[in-house]
Amino acid sequence: MKIKNLLKFLPLRIAYAHCDIPCGIYDPHMAQVAAHTVIRMTQLLTDLKSDDPKKTAHDIARMTHVKEEHAGIIEEELETLRNDYFKLEHYQEYANLNELFTSTLKSTSKARQSIDVQAAEETLVGVLQIAEIFYKSKGVTPIRVKSVYPTGGEMVLYK
Amino acid sequence: MLLLARLKIIGHSMEPQIKNGETILVSKIPYWFKTPQINDIVAFKDSSEKILVKRIVKIENRRYFVEGDNKRDSLDSRKFGDISKDKIIGEIIFKL
Repeated sequence: MKIKNLLKFLPLRIAYAHCDIPCGIYDPHMAQVAAHTVIRMTQLLTDLKSDDPKKTAHDIARMTHVKEEHAGIIEEELETLRNDYFKLEHYQEYANLNELFTSTLKSTSKARQSIDVQAAEETLVGVLQIAEIFYKSKGVTPIRVKSVYPTGGEMVLYK
Repeated sequence: MLLLARLKIIGHSMEPQIKNGETILVSKIPYWFKTPQINDIVAFKDSSEKILVKRIVKIENRRYFVEGDNKRDSLDSRKFGDISKDKIIGEIIFKL
């Protein structure tokens, strides 16, 4: 057995590398916008047509860069909500929340690594569900509205 | 504190070296042979006995000034002051 595997038998404790200015400002909005951006970049990459190889290479590089960057924003925003905002009582009240984070982060990673519209759309579905739970936990009513983006998907707001 | 412990990191103050959600191995064994040094990344207990992870950036009169690597986003000695050696529970020896 490898040493790394043996070390897994050690008890796991939590240590804080805090930003820890408890600003209390959390919002799933940025993750939603980033999820739409990842879908859009994936759509553009899928539909890309050009007779100019140099321009094609340039466009692919730019779109991939933006897709990469926004998938990173989704991951960072979701990790902040998962680790900093949501507390034990939320995970008890919304039993699927932890699994929802895991599956959404997995699809984000897949959307990042490939040109996969389905993975990008699954990411948005997960982000929207997390946004709904977030707003419920804040005591406001989440509402779904059609986004004004070319992706055509929804956004979760609140009233 | 055990001789070796696994710690799961929550927070961003040690990025990019240690990222939020990563697991690290901490040990007090190195400090049997040396005193904590500048640039060591250490785990220590704060006044509420919570374990924090920061880097030693200054040592004065056997007091240790610790800071996060991500200085724009870190609660550390700049706010809570320096710490004594007895609060340090070990050095981070590697990431798992």
